[in-house]
Amino acid sequence: MRFLVVDDSSTMRRIIINTLNKLGHSDVIEAANGREGIDKAGGGPVDVIITDWNMPEVSGVDFVRTIRAQEKTAKTPVLMVTTNAAKDDIVEALRAGVNNYVVKPFTPDTMKEKIEALLAG
Amino acid sequence: MSDTMRQSIDLLIESTREVFVMMVGRELHFGMPIEGEALRPKSNVVATVSFAGSDSGVVVFYSTLAAANEIAGALLGMSPADVNGEMPDAIGEISNMIAGAFRTKMTEAGHPWVISIPTVTVGSDFYTKYVSDVRRILCPFQMDDQEVFVELILTKS
Repeated sequence: MRFLVVDDSSTMRRIIINTLNKLGHSDVIEAANGREGIDKAGGGPVDVIITDWNMPEVSGVDFVRTIRAQEKTAKTPVLMVTTNAAKDDIVEALRAGVNNYVVKPFTPDTMKEKIEALLAG
Repeated sequence: MSDTMRQSIDLLIESTREVFVMMVGRELHFGMPIEGEALRPKSNVVATVSFAGSDSGVVVFYSTLAAANEIAGALLGMSPADVNGEMPDAIGEISNMIAGAFRTKMTEAGHPWVISIPTVTVGSDFYTKYVSDVRRILCPFQMDDQEVFVELILTKS
C-alpha cells in the first residue's frame, strides 16, 4: 500500500513517515507542497494521501479540491493532519473532500485508528 | 491574576504537556508561573508564535541548545547527538503544535484566535523585546534534568 505525505514542513513529513513505518507501512512517497502533491497524486498509484492544511501557494484544502476534481484521484482516501481543530475548520475540510482528520499533537495509535477507519470506509 | 488570565495559563500548560507527552514522549513537570519580566530564562533557542483575535499576543518557547536537540531527536526518532540542521524546524513545529492546541482550547472557551507561523531564533547573545505594552507570564517546566519554558505574552487592551 502506497502513501503520499504532503507537508511543507520536512519535520512533519519525517514525523508522519516515522509513524507510518512504526505501523508497518514502508511504501511512502512525499511532496513538499500542494503543487508537488497534485503532480505526485496524479502521477502514479497512490492508495492513501496524508496532507497538511497550512501550506504556501496551494493550501491543503485547495490541494484536496484539486485532486477530487481529477478522475484518477477523485476517490483516493485523504487524511488531513493539522492544528486547525475548530469545528468550522473540520466542516470546511470535509466539504473539500477530506475523508478523515487528525489533530496535532497525535499519538501513533490515533494515526492507526484513523487510517484503519479510512481504509474500512 | 484575573480569572481569564488564569484560565489562559492553565490551558497553555495543558497544551504544552499534551504536545510533549504525545509527540516527544516526555512528561513535563510544571513549576510555578512567574509574572513580569523579573526572570528571563537561560536559553539559546527561542521560538515565537503570534496570535490575534479576541486577544492578541505571543506564545514563546525557550530552551537550551541541549534541551532543543533532545526534543528534536525524540520528535524525529534520532539520537540528540545526530541532530544538526533539523533542530530549528523541529522546535518551530513543537511551538506551532503548542500554540495550535492552545488556540483550539481558547476557541472552545469562547476566545477565537488565529495564529501565525512560528519563528525560531538560535544564538547565544540576544534577548527578546516586545514593543507594545504587554503582560507576561512565564511557565517553567522540568523535562528530566533539563528545564524548558513557555511564556504567554498578552497585549494589554
